[in-house]
Amino acid sequence: MANNSKIKLTFNTREVEAPEGVTVLRAAELNDIYIPTLCSHKDLSPFGGCRLCIVEIEGMRGYPLSCSTIADDGMVVLTETEAIREIRTELVQLILSEHPSSCLICKEADECKPFTKTVRKSGVTTGCRYCPNDGQCELQDVVNYLGITELSYPVIYKEHEPERMDPFFDRDYNLCILCGRCIRMCQEVRGTSVLAFNFRGNKTRVGTAFGRNHIEAGCEFCGACINVCPTGALAEKASKWDGIPDGSVIATCPYCAIGCQLELFHKDGWFSKAVPVHDSEVNDGQACLKGRFCMGEVSHHFERARKPMARIDGYWKEQLWDEAIEKAAEKLKDLKPDEFAMLISPDCTNESLFTAQKFVRTVMQSNSIDSTARSSLGGGLPFWERMFQKPIKIQEIKKAKTILAIGLDTRFNFSIIGVEIRKAIKAGARLVTINSRRSNLAQYSHCWLQVEPATEGIMLDALVKSLFNNATDLKKELKLSGVKKEKLADALELLKGQDDLMVIVGPRIFSYTDNADLISSITELSKKDNVSIIPLYYGTNTRGAIDLGAFPEILPGAVFKGDEKTTKKLESAWKVKFPKDDGITIDKIQAGECRPKVLYLVGAVPFAQRPDCDYLIVQDIYEPDFDVDLYLPATSFLESSGTLVNMEGRVQDAPGVEKLPDSVMYGRARPDWWILSQIAKQLDVAGFDYESSDNVLDEISDLADGFPKSGRIHRKMDTLRVETVLPETVPVSAKPRKKSGFLLVMQPGGYSYRGVDITSKVEGLQILNPEEGFHLNSEDAKELGITEGEKLIVTAGDKSGTACARIEDEIPKGAIYLFKPLAFGGLKDRCDLEQLFRLETNPCPVEVKKVGV
Amino acid sequence: MSKTALNKRRKTAEIKWKSLEENKKPILFFGAATCGNAAGAQETIKAAKKTLKEIGVDADIIEVGCIGPCYLEPLMDIKPPGKPRICFSNVNEEKSEKIIKRFFLKDEIPKLGLVGHFGDNGDYGEDIPRFYDHPMIKPQVRIVLRNCGIIDPSEIDHYLARDGYVALESVLSKPWEETLDLIKQSGLRGRGGAGFPTWKKWKFCRDVESDQKYMICNADEGDPGAFMNRSLIEGDPHAVLEGLVIAAYTIGASKAYIYIRAEYPLAISRLEKAISQMEELGLIGENILGSGFNLEIKIKEGAGAFVCGEETALIASIEGNRGMPRTRPPFPAVAGLWGKPTIINNVETLGTIANIIRRGADWYTDFGTEACKGTKTFSLVGRVRRTGLIEVPMGTTLRKIIFDIGGGLFKPFKAVQTGGPSGGCLSEEFLDMPVDYENLAKVGSIMGSGGIIVLDKDTCVVDLAKYFLKFTQQESCGKCVPCRVGTRHLVNILEKITKGEGELSDLEKLEKLGESIKRSALCGLGQTAPNPVLSTLKYFRDEYLAHIIDKRCPAAVCRDLVVFRIIPEKCTGCQSCVKVCPTGAITGPRSEPHNLDESKCIKCRACYEVCRFDAIAGDAIEIVSGKQE
Repeated sequence: MANNSKIKLTFNTREVEAPEGVTVLRAAELNDIYIPTLCSHKDLSPFGGCRLCIVEIEGMRGYPLSCSTIADDGMVVLTETEAIREIRTELVQLILSEHPSSCLICKEADECKPFTKTVRKSGVTTGCRYCPNDGQCELQDVVNYLGITELSYPVIYKEHEPERMDPFFDRDYNLCILCGRCIRMCQEVRGTSVLAFNFRGNKTRVGTAFGRNHIEAGCEFCGACINVCPTGALAEKASKWDGIPDGSVIATCPYCAIGCQLELFHKDGWFSKAVPVHDSEVNDGQACLKGRFCMGEVSHHFERARKPMARIDGYWKEQLWDEAIEKAAEKLKDLKPDEFAMLISPDCTNESLFTAQKFVRTVMQSNSIDSTARSSLGGGLPFWERMFQKPIKIQEIKKAKTILAIGLDTRFNFSIIGVEIRKAIKAGARLVTINSRRSNLAQYSHCWLQVEPATEGIMLDALVKSLFNNATDLKKELKLSGVKKEKLADALELLKGQDDLMVIVGPRIFSYTDNADLISSITELSKKDNVSIIPLYYGTNTRGAIDLGAFPEILPGAVFKGDEKTTKKLESAWKVKFPKDDGITIDKIQAGECRPKVLYLVGAVPFAQRPDCDYLIVQDIYEPDFDVDLYLPATSFLESSGTLVNMEGRVQDAPGVEKLPDSVMYGRARPDWWILSQIAKQLDVAGFDYESSDNVLDEISDLADGFPKSGRIHRKMDTLRVETVLPETVPVSAKPRKKSGFLLVMQPGGYSYRGVDITSKVEGLQILNPEEGFHLNSEDAKELGITEGEKLIVTAGDKSGTACARIEDEIPKGAIYLFKPLAFGGLKDRCDLEQLFRLETNPCPVEVKKVGV
Repeated sequence: MSKTALNKRRKTAEIKWKSLEENKKPILFFGAATCGNAAGAQETIKAAKKTLKEIGVDADIIEVGCIGPCYLEPLMDIKPPGKPRICFSNVNEEKSEKIIKRFFLKDEIPKLGLVGHFGDNGDYGEDIPRFYDHPMIKPQVRIVLRNCGIIDPSEIDHYLARDGYVALESVLSKPWEETLDLIKQSGLRGRGGAGFPTWKKWKFCRDVESDQKYMICNADEGDPGAFMNRSLIEGDPHAVLEGLVIAAYTIGASKAYIYIRAEYPLAISRLEKAISQMEELGLIGENILGSGFNLEIKIKEGAGAFVCGEETALIASIEGNRGMPRTRPPFPAVAGLWGKPTIINNVETLGTIANIIRRGADWYTDFGTEACKGTKTFSLVGRVRRTGLIEVPMGTTLRKIIFDIGGGLFKPFKAVQTGGPSGGCLSEEFLDMPVDYENLAKVGSIMGSGGIIVLDKDTCVVDLAKYFLKFTQQESCGKCVPCRVGTRHLVNILEKITKGEGELSDLEKLEKLGESIKRSALCGLGQTAPNPVLSTLKYFRDEYLAHIIDKRCPAAVCRDLVVFRIIPEKCTGCQSCVKVCPTGAITGPRSEPHNLDESKCIKCRACYEVCRFDAIAGDAIEIVSGKQE
């Protein structure tokens, strides 16, 4: 409710103003008046469990709770009377009798605390360290505020076994004060309801239904519960013993195109943890497991390759930067345009993408710069460009009345979108989903159109035809998608006559060989004024890659090649002749149509095995699993700064939180733009005198519309609107239908950063391991006589692959789902599947057998 | 069903009822509510049927609800053709055979278990008393319970014949304001315990604008030792349902719920049957009696949490959430079930409504005191001679309830506990206090839903307080700190005291903690939880002191403070105790006084019980606490 009127009320002796309709506690908070509380939280509904926020209000009986009493005009509130203090002290005493408290009331604390820095395994004579949140604990704050120094009740130890079996965070409910914030966060904000109170009386505890572990209970591992926990009961495994952070910076999450704003905390110069920024516009204080938990391990992993390396006379040798740059320059010198290709990851910053394409186009005099994003951008670049020309606003989802979600599962990927959808549903929106497998949204859907694998597009086409063209004969579509007529009628009933429609398309269904229906129906939808479309895609900065021309056919400014004006502008800025060649694309390399002499991979490892070339340069944060000729260590998101464009088109800042590494121990990784500039300088090409990423950004803002100058990065909505003539999209149309046996459905995987699949580096992801193996239905597994984890061999014609079986009832019968990694770094074990990854059609009819039968 | 159709049906019902009163063949009535069944009523019915068949008597059998004197269960009434019912008590299988045979074969009224007849003076001659002259029944005023034990609860016709749904008919023909006014004049206050004026609550809800309102009947009777609501539903479900429909009409609710404990299966089945009968007659559903008023009633079974009797927890439970109270405001009358205005009334409140409407507010206000009108049902239990379900006007003294109706105690009186685990323990000095909401609250107890537990000198009040506190502690929802943690400490301290490890400072701690729990707990459960401790501390402090200073339990109950002894003069040497002693602490040859080795004794009381009741033993074992020279 938008209500701007203000009321006046008095706290103790101070008269203050507050917006109408807020609680007394909130009114106090807004005016910096402290009322102790442990269970209330501004994002959550009032709970009234801790009872600490009691106040006295003139004209009211007893001690009303400030967290649930609405502030009224003219109210006189007393927050600190003797009686209140007495009750509060008594209450905190009671809480402390159930909560380990020596850190709070120990007489030796002052002498002991400075020395208890880490958890000790060896003998120490002093110091207790059983709570990771010592010093960052709201209970401690309240104890200090009340000045409690001794306990009047005997201590009761709850004897709960600490829970460590789930990934990413530990739970020690001995430290829990049952404030219920985590539960309310999970229910009210995230809409997932994984947590609840279990048991009653003094046996009450927080947990999942029926005592299942969090994975089984459907937890998204977003970490929102940890963020609101007032004590150390919930703690992130990776950072729990880091202590009080030294400081923080606000940065953009490097893991997907939503571009969540995260606060990166650091301790002793090292990244400690990432917490979503509370009031951020993009993610509204939320994050997903990747942003919340996967940063440290990806950047700090012991396998990180931190030094330049080169293969010299068959030996893999460490190099100084100068030597490495010289070597690279030497190999790149005098190459013809078709002898060189560079592939770059869409996870790179704008600065790196821009420098890379400038490097290829000016130094190499070629258009052979391609982004691996191409592989997951089904429908072709013009289609996506068209999508980006329409405003995409994540925050509009929660205001939608009708939502159509196609091929979307938001449990681990794009979970922010799921949160927003559930908010909309709570506010009364209708949700129709089209999905071949049961998604995490299925249980919230008002209508789930369960289609045959890979026919989501056909179903969408049918819906669009009926909604906008009044088509009635949909027999063909219904037959192909396997949806009952009545079900479709249900969906149409929900969608028809609605003023607005929010269409959200999941990233996985674009990769089917036959995506003609999908692409054409989305294109048609995009022409409707009252339809908003949110097309999801992998690659953090894919939109940046398009805007900055990290593709052969696109120039900086998101202009397609051949545009005279832009070409001229670039030529005059760079003082070179713009190359005319078509450039080598990733598709051509993967299909073996082109064989560049030198292949330069910038954070891109779309190969399971060494691609065919004479000289392979890899510039990444990890070495790939195949032989490389020159390895140049790039910085991670923690070590260098840059900007990223999110799916809405916001240019967002991604500052590093650690210093540029420069030591024997931590290596000498450098930003991509720096490395490329050094090589260019070595080759005596002008225009690469960048001192910092800001210099690059300034050049970008000159050449590409919508990009700000450095120092003026705004996190406000700022869609890059580029007027451009789009070539016609020619979607491929083929109808591979299953005749017998199984249908192999290949979907792009979602856990990569640059060239590495982060599952291989993050322990928690390895436990979840959502993408490994062949996923199939339990009934199919039964018929095949296999159990979870057993090896399967899948054959299509002369191609085959083996992997373990993953039995999931979300998978429809008769289908085998396989995730095709976007980046192969760290996935040596998936070489066995390479032939299948190269199948010509997707989905593809296959034979399935148990290995050894 | 239209009004005329209902009246037609009532005519038939009246004829049916008349034929029952002027029966041609004998009828046997059995008290077969849960209390009767627990005492063996079903077995008695089986035996009676067998006997009747054996002697060739053709008689009807009717199972009725509880008529009140539970200590006399199973009750069997014989109604000879055209004559009033004669009530027999404690009728087990064997006794039923004897009574029936004597009654029908010898044509006499056996004295065996005879309680009285239901007719007027002289119907059966001088030596057969009237049932209503029975000392437990006579002082009572039965308004809510008027049909309990009289009618067949599974027959809507019985209810109709006894003016059932007359009140509903009249309410539906008038605007709601008139009913509200009538209830206001009657001074009816909520019988669930808090005593909030019913009309006020209804008015709050009525005044809120909403597209949907809900009416809820709270039948989640959870107090240990309380069974008024269960008995009323089992004996006369339609009385409650009629009140529910009237209340729903008055507040403007089109949906009603009955929240009832799953532990009350008989009451649930009686309600289900009654609701289906109402549906059949169009007393619920759409356009009730042509008034345009619609109502749907659903039964929601509780899952056994005491706290779900609390309004907001009850609402959460119906919504499918964990039964946890929430902070108020907003009050349920404004935002309750599914966020809509909701009224929750107790079973007994609803059971009273139709009576008030039928007979007028003036009639109702004749009963009770100035501030509390009408009658109140109580379940009278404990160490009293006559236990059972009673109904007395408000303002009746505890002495009258315990000594006149209850017939006093077997042993000297010590205390009376009212209001269940939320109530307090009152000593002898309060026996002459008239019972109403305010008086009980003044002395640190509450009316509650109406449980009265009478205690004699063999009860240790510290132990009793500990029992109740353990109960509330286990039933706390765990949400707020004072209730969850505070009661735990209260229990721990009481535990310490009953073990003889208490210190004087513990009493202060109990008082201080008790007061702060009362002040700061979220809901009624927590706010009243310390009452058993605080009231016993107030009125029986000596007993606490005896535990702490003398390390003695005056009632010889607290196990850690007592020893078992054999009185040699009384011991007959029968060896009964030797046989039951599980640890071999008692030894001794036959016919000689036995020895009890205190070091082996685990105080299980087995010897004590056997010695007390065994014919030859001689009650030779005593339990002694402290030095009793």
